Amino acid sequence: MDNITPSVDVSHLAAFDLDGALGEAADRINHGTRKSFLRNAGILGGGMALLSLLPGVARAAGGGLPKGDIDILNYALTLEYLESSFYAEANRQGALSGELARFAKAVGQHEDAHVQALKQTLGGKATKKPRFDFQGTTAGKDTFAKTAMVLEDTGVKAYQGQATNIRTPAVLKAAISIHPVEARHAAWIASIMGSGSSPAPDAFNPAADMETVLAAVKSTGFVPALASAPAGDAVSGQPAMTG
Amino acid sequence: MTPQTSTDPDGRATPPDPTIDRFDRGEAAAEATAALRGTTRGELFRRAGLLVGGGAIAAGVPLAIADAQGGLSKRDVEILNYALTLEYLEAAFYAEAVDRGKLHGEAQRFASVVAQHEAAHVQALKKVLGGKAVKAPKFDFQGTTGSQKSFLATAQVLEDTGVSAYQGQAPRIKSDAVLASAGSILAVEARHAAWVRDIIGGGGDPVPAPSAFNEPKTMDQVLAAVKKTGFLQ
Repeated sequence: MDNITPSVDVSHLAAFDLDGALGEAADRINHGTRKSFLRNAGILGGGMALLSLLPGVARAAGGGLPKGDIDILNYALTLEYLESSFYAEANRQGALSGELARFAKAVGQHEDAHVQALKQTLGGKATKKPRFDFQGTTAGKDTFAKTAMVLEDTGVKAYQGQATNIRTPAVLKAAISIHPVEARHAAWIASIMGSGSSPAPDAFNPAADMETVLAAVKSTGFVPALASAPAGDAVSGQPAMTG
Repeated sequence: MTPQTSTDPDGRATPPDPTIDRFDRGEAAAEATAALRGTTRGELFRRAGLLVGGGAIAAGVPLAIADAQGGLSKRDVEILNYALTLEYLEAAFYAEAVDRGKLHGEAQRFASVVAQHEAAHVQALKKVLGGKAVKAPKFDFQGTTGSQKSFLATAQVLEDTGVSAYQGQAPRIKSDAVLASAGSILAVEARHAAWVRDIIGGGGDPVPAPSAFNEPKTMDQVLAAVKKTGFLQ
């Protein structure tokens, strides 16, 4: 099913009215590590960097979203850009066939829809799409399948790791509607790959924090801007996202 | 959830189709939900022995739920017991399917793996709830575990429902620790759902990931659907 329209409407987030409790959220989450990552990846626009110095302004300008939620949404958007570009390239290459081709097409559409929904939510605060280099992984069935599995497994962990950091109920609802879809993708590709990879390897899915995920993304070399960042910059070791 | 009777390839009558995918989410659903509030849930919980005295202070402090020091909120206890009830149902369904030995191939592998997962979810939730955990209800799976086809169709419905159920509750959860645990189970239910869908349709129909955004369901919607299956005695 080519469901491009978000069934969870996140567009109304722009009008979300903040309650006072959200104000303290920005202080609670450590932004240092992520900011440096986002800058290195060319993800942080000049305006956003400036706004981050002015917490009150950041809230008002973010469509009413607290800064922590904007960071999380931009982090999710970056991962969705990565996935969506990966499947778009794989579909263009045409090396896939059978169920693998069906998977790539369907999942590519989902990731596009996630990108659109997140961009819509973030409005002017949406980070730009970085340049990707998938290192030839989209050119063959095996490398495509293995890479897709890693990307999807990572996506599940990433969304799961942010659930407790999100302050705005509407953002949580949106994230929690994407999270199980990433899990479905992960299981689907594992099922296609057959024995040796379990669609549901554990009774409890592991979560991953932002630093862990970004370090993993960096290690793939798929984001050239990240690869040239100073070593350790994306991983400061700060347990910032365990709130 | 219109009950339908059909016949499987072996000529056996299959029970009413417990599909809840067609559940009306519009105005009619709102009416139904309002009508169900306080009746269906209360009735179901009573029948399942779910309403226990709320006196006991929260459970011991288990693995994932380390920060429930002050005790769980009343709503979180209700949500956890709701989740536990669904997990009891899934665990019992897979245990029966594995016991009956009618499955083969990937469906058999699926059933035995998922049975272990659901049993682990039951254990974890019981541990979190401690003395507040509801008891396991009696189930009657209406013969659905007796053939590969009816097993798979039912498993798909149960797993899809499980995903939507956890998703529907996540934003209502107060404790971060409970939310984190619910998220880790939500993802696994979604994996089960996609897996069984792939076994049935080979990636065609049903599609393992039918939509870019998964639909949540409220407690009332899920409980009404469960009630209609007749699985809960």
